[in-house]
Amino acid sequence: MISTIFWIVPISALFALLFAWIFYKSMKMQDEGTDKMKEIAEYVREGAMAYLKSQYTVVGKIFIILVILLSILAYMGVQNPFVPVAFLTGGIFSGLCGYLGMKTATFASNRTAWAASKSLNKGLQVALRSGAVMGLVVVGFALLDIAAWFIFLDKVVFSPEHMVTGLNWLGLTFVNPGIDEHQKFVEITATMITFGMGASTQALFARVGGGIFTKAADVGADLVGKVEAGIPEDDPRNPATIADNVGDNVGDVAGMGADLYESYAGSILATAALGAALPAIAGQSDNQLKAIIAPMLVSAIGILLSIAGVYMVRTKESASPKSLLRALLLGTGGSSALILVVLAIMAQADWITWGVFGAAVSGLVAGVIIGQATEYYTSDGYKPTQGISKQSQTGPATVIIEGMAVGMFSTWLPVMTIVAGIIAAYAFAGGFQNFAMGVYGIGFASVGMLSTLGVTLATDAFGPIADNAGGNAEMSDLPKEVRERTDALDGLGNTTAATGKGFAIGSAALTALALVAAYMEEVKLWLGRLADKSVDGYKQIGDILFYHSQVPANVQAGQQAVEVTQAGVNDFVQAYNLSLFNPILLAGLFIGSMMCFVFVAMAMKAVGRNAGRMVDEVRRQFREIPGIMEGKGRPEYAKCVAIATKGAQKEMVMPALMAIIVPVTTGIIFGVPGVVGLLVGGMTTGFTLASMLNNSGGAWDNAKKYIERGNFGGKKSDCHKASIVGDTVGDPFKDTCGPSMNILIKLMSMVAVVMAGVTVAWSIFG
Amino acid sequence: MSKYIYLTCNPEALVASMLPPEAFGLYLSTGTKKRNKGQAIFFEIDPDKAGSVIDHDSLNKRCVAKEDGSPKSSVYLSVYKVLEMIPLAALKSLYLTTDHGIVLELKRSDYDKLKEPKNELHLYQELCPVTPMVASSLAPSVFMKKLTDGSIPIVLPKLLFVELKLGELAVNPLGGSSENLPYPNIGHLRDCLEIIRGEYEKHMKTVNRIFTGELLYRTIATGFYIGAGDEMVFYAYPRMKDLEKMNYNFFRAI
Repeated sequence: MISTIFWIVPISALFALLFAWIFYKSMKMQDEGTDKMKEIAEYVREGAMAYLKSQYTVVGKIFIILVILLSILAYMGVQNPFVPVAFLTGGIFSGLCGYLGMKTATFASNRTAWAASKSLNKGLQVALRSGAVMGLVVVGFALLDIAAWFIFLDKVVFSPEHMVTGLNWLGLTFVNPGIDEHQKFVEITATMITFGMGASTQALFARVGGGIFTKAADVGADLVGKVEAGIPEDDPRNPATIADNVGDNVGDVAGMGADLYESYAGSILATAALGAALPAIAGQSDNQLKAIIAPMLVSAIGILLSIAGVYMVRTKESASPKSLLRALLLGTGGSSALILVVLAIMAQADWITWGVFGAAVSGLVAGVIIGQATEYYTSDGYKPTQGISKQSQTGPATVIIEGMAVGMFSTWLPVMTIVAGIIAAYAFAGGFQNFAMGVYGIGFASVGMLSTLGVTLATDAFGPIADNAGGNAEMSDLPKEVRERTDALDGLGNTTAATGKGFAIGSAALTALALVAAYMEEVKLWLGRLADKSVDGYKQIGDILFYHSQVPANVQAGQQAVEVTQAGVNDFVQAYNLSLFNPILLAGLFIGSMMCFVFVAMAMKAVGRNAGRMVDEVRRQFREIPGIMEGKGRPEYAKCVAIATKGAQKEMVMPALMAIIVPVTTGIIFGVPGVVGLLVGGMTTGFTLASMLNNSGGAWDNAKKYIERGNFGGKKSDCHKASIVGDTVGDPFKDTCGPSMNILIKLMSMVAVVMAGVTVAWSIFG
Repeated sequence: MSKYIYLTCNPEALVASMLPPEAFGLYLSTGTKKRNKGQAIFFEIDPDKAGSVIDHDSLNKRCVAKEDGSPKSSVYLSVYKVLEMIPLAALKSLYLTTDHGIVLELKRSDYDKLKEPKNELHLYQELCPVTPMVASSLAPSVFMKKLTDGSIPIVLPKLLFVELKLGELAVNPLGGSSENLPYPNIGHLRDCLEIIRGEYEKHMKTVNRIFTGELLYRTIATGFYIGAGDEMVFYAYPRMKDLEKMNYNFFRAI
C-alpha cells in the first residue's frame, strides 16, 4: 500500500513537467508582436543563451574536477561511492532547470508585451504561465530526480539479495552484507541527500555569477547610458541595454530557480534522511517508510495544487495594481491553504503525526510572515522606506546611514519568526520529549513552506518576464497604454520578488538547519562504516567506542561502548564535546560567521570590477561607433553581453570555491565540532546578514522610486540625487550578495554532509 | 517642406526651421548627432502676425533643405531683445522639452485675474529676458504689471516667467512643511518669503540671481505668463494627473 502510494511522487513530477510543457507551448503560440519586438527579444535570447553556455562551460570544468576528487575519495573509502554520480545528476538537473526557465522567459518577454497591448489580463496570463514553466520544471525535475534515485536504490541497489550478500563493483563497496530493512533506508536516504551538493554547487554559480553579471550590466547601462549620455532607460541606442535585460533573466530567473531547486530538493532529502533515522520507529518498517515518503508525498501533492494555483490567477481587463496583487495572492494563498487540508488528511490517515502537521503549519506561517516582513521593510507604502526618502533631504550620507539602519533593524522580524518557527516546529513534533522527532518536525516545516513552490516560483519568475516585457515595449516604441500595462505588471513583479526573496531565505534557513541535523546522521553512518573497516572493529571518539557489527573487547574504565545505530544525540554531544565551551566548536562558529562577511566582500568587489569593465566598454562604443546616438549606428550589444559574461565567470569562481573548500578544510583540521560550529555560525550569521542585505537594498531602491513619484522634490532634485547613491550602493546588496547568502549556508551544509566521511576519518583535532 | 519660426528662450533668439515643433524640440535638446542633452523652452511664432520682425527674404534664402534633401534644422534670424519685438498675438503654442528631447505642448489658455489667490505668497522663475528667481506677495498679473509698466525704476519691456509651487510656505513661510519642495537652500527661501510677508512696502525679493538653466517641470504651479503691462498671455500647466493622461512620455521623463 505504502509503496503504491509512493508512485504519486514520480507521477506528480511527470505531471509538473507535462504542464510546464503545455504552458511553454501555449506561450510559444502567442503572437510575437512586431518585427522590432522580435528583433529585440532575439538579442536578449542570444545574450542569455551565450551567458548560460559560458557559465555551464566553466561550471562543467569545475564539476569534472570535483567528480574526479570525489571518486578518488570514494576509492579511498571515505566517500559514499554513489556521490560522484549523485553530485552530477543534481548539478545537471539544476542546470537544465535554469536553461529551460531562461529559454522560456526570453521567449515570453515580447509575447507578454504584445499580449499586454490587447489587455492587462492577457499580459498577466502570458507572463505568469511562462513563469510557471520555471516553477514547474524546478519542482518536476527535483522530485523526478529524488523519485528516480529512490526507486533505483530501493529496487536495484539495495535488493533483498544484495542486502544479504553485499554489492561490490569496480572495487567499491555499494552495499555492505547483512544489513537490515531499517539500515537499508537509512543508507538510501543518506545516499540521496548527496545529490543536493551538485544542485547547491550549480546554484551557487548561478546566483553569484548571475548576480555579478546583472549588476555589471545594470551599472553600465545606467551610469553611462542614462547619466552620461542622457538617454532613457531601455533605450535601444544604449549598448548595455540588452545586457541589462539579459541580466534580469540570469539573475532573477536562472539564479532564483537554481536556488529554490536546491532548497526544495534539500528540504525533502534532509527530512527523508531524518525520518529514516527516527529511533522511535526503529523496527517498524512501515512507519519508517511513511516517514521517508511523507515529505515527498506532500511535495508531490503540492505540485498538483501549484498547477491549480496557476489556473486560479486571473483578473478583469481593467484591473488595478491592488486587484492584480489579489489575483496573484489567490493563486499562491489558495494553493497554500489547500496544502494544509492535504496535510490534515495525511495526519488523519496516520501518515504523519498531528505534531508533524503542526510543524508543517509553522513552516508555512513563518514563510508568509517573513514574506510580509520583507514587504513592510522594503515597500515605499510603509514608514521604513519613506524614512530613507526623508533622510535624502540631508544628503547621500544620511540616506546610507538610514538604509543600513533599516536593513539591520529589519532583521528582528525574520529572525524572531524563524526562531518561533523552529521552536514551534520542534515542539509540535514532540522534540522536547524526542530530539529526533523534533528535528524531523523542523525538516517538515521547510517542506511545508516549499510544498507549493511551483506556484510561488511562478510568481517570482513572472517579475523579470514583466520587466523584460516593459523593456521590449519601450525599445519597440509601443503605445503608452502598453507601457502603462507592462509597468503595472512590473510593479507587481517587484512586490512578488520582495516576498520571494523572504521566502527563499526563510526556506534556506530551515533547510540548512535540517541539513545540520542530517549531518549528524551522516556522521553516525560513517562512524559505523569506519568501525567496520577498522582492525579493532570500533571507532573511538573521546571516551566512547562506537562499534557496528562487533562489540569491542577492550573497553577500559571510563570508556563506554555504543552500538552506532543505537547512538543518540547525547552520545555524539558527549563524544565530540559539542559544547560551546569547546574551543574547537567556538573556532568553527567564528569561521562560519566570518565566511559570510568575506563571501559578501568578494562578491561586492567582483561586482565593482565587472561594472568597471562594462562602463569602459559602453563609453568606448558611444565614442567610437558613428551615428550611435542618432539611432543610425547599431550598438554592439553582444560585446557588452560577452564582457559581462566573461567577467562574471571569472569573478564567481573564487567565492564559490571558497564555499566548498572551507567546510572541507575545517572538517579535516577541526573535525566534527569544528564543522558543527562552522555550519551554525554560517547559518545564523548568513541568515541575518542576508535579511539585512536584501532589505537594505530593496528599501534603498524603493526610497528612490518614492522620490521619483514626486515626493521630496521628485526627479532631479537634490533628494533624488542622494537617493540614487543609496540605490547604487544597495544594488549589489540585494541582487548579488543577499541572494548568494541563501546558497552559501546551504552549500556549506551540503559539503559538510557529503564530506562527513573525510571529516570523521581524517580530522586532526576534532 | 514647411517652414516654422520659433522664439527660443535660452538663448533669446528667433530661429527659422524646417522641423515641426516636436522634431525641433528634440533637435534643440539633443543636437544633430544626439550627443547633447538639455532642456529647451520655445514658442512657435505665427509669421503672419509677427509684423516686420521677420526678414522673409533672408528666411527664404537661408532656410532651405540640405544638399542631401534633409530639412534644415535651424537658421538664426536674430538674437537679443527678440522677446520685446514679438507681438503677443504672434505667439502660438509654448513647448517644453526634457533633457532627452521629449516635448510637451502648452496651448494659450484663458486667465481670470479675479480668481488669483489673495494673501498667498508666490515664487516666480523669470525666464526671459532676465532670469532671477523671485519670491513675491503679488499675484501673477500684478507681478507682471509691476515689472513691466515703468512704475518702478527697473523696468523690463516684456517678461516671460513661470510660477513655481510653494506648498505650505505660501501661507506659512517659517513653519510650513518644505518636505516636497526640491529647491536648494530652503532656509534662504523661507527668509525671503518671511521678509516680503512682514514688510508692507516690499513685495518682491530675489531668491536666486542666477538660473541654472534647468527648470524642474514637476514644480510648476499654475503655468507660464508672458506679457507687459496689462497685456498678458497665459499658458496653463496641467496637473500631474492630467499630464499623465495628456503626455505619458513627458510625464514619465520628469
